[in-house]
Amino acid sequence: MLSLKIPRQILDEMVAHARALAPFECCGLLAGQDGTVSRHYRITNTVAKDAQAVEVFDAANVKQLADLSEKRKAEVAYFMDPKEMLAAFKDMRERQLDLIVIYHSHTHSPAYPSMTDVGLALYPDAAYLIISLENKTAPDVQAYWIKDHRITQAEFHAI
Amino acid sequence: MIKVRIPTPLRPLTKGQGEVEAKGGSIDEMINHLEGAHPGIKGRLCDEKGELRRFVNIYVNEEDIRFLKGKDTILKDGDEVSIVPAIAGGN
Ligand SMILES: [Zn+2]
Repeated sequence: MLSLKIPRQILDEMVAHARALAPFECCGLLAGQDGTVSRHYRITNTVAKDAQAVEVFDAANVKQLADLSEKRKAEVAYFMDPKEMLAAFKDMRERQLDLIVIYHSHTHSPAYPSMTDVGLALYPDAAYLIISLENKTAPDVQAYWIKDHRITQAEFHAI
Repeated sequence: MIKVRIPTPLRPLTKGQGEVEAKGGSIDEMINHLEGAHPGIKGRLCDEKGELRRFVNIYVNEEDIRFLKGKDTILKDGDEVSIVPAIAGGN
């Protein structure tokens, strides 16, 4: 698999997004062409407010959310606002861009996919990028392919 | 005809097409029509009981069918249907 190219500015924006929302998880999408990212969509994490999120997590038999407080839900999980996703995909279509990266933050754990991330990975063609704020002074950004519950590193570099 | 937008994870079932046409007077009928043209797609959208899977969001002209009539939502010629699997995860 080729190495994805992500503009330095967008990498900085994603880390800033993660920091702005910490201790809650942030999430978003990156789109572009031929593995080169050109557009960044911040998406609202609605896990605390959207009843569908609990159903989706339960159906996938991953993290149990029902008994957590709203605050705790957003600290340990993300659920992209479906309406904002629809708008982002429409924008990609109009600009003839493809979805390249799905990202979210881990505010207290390493930049490695959790069992929950793997169980809910429905987009095998997108790289799953994780911004870890475990070390506050040195955020770690890593990306992975998640296909059929198997995790492999996705190479990327800043342009 | 109904225009159906197919998300990337389902495009292997539509020969890579991001947009296909379908027929049907409701979402339920449209799904059955899609299954005829693109076998396997119904199982990705619905569970064994035929109910829509929780993580699949379906929009008719940008309205979430959960807030319309679900699978019984009426479709008419020229409607645009978008299928968008949820994106979620955690730590
Ligand atoms: Zn995660």
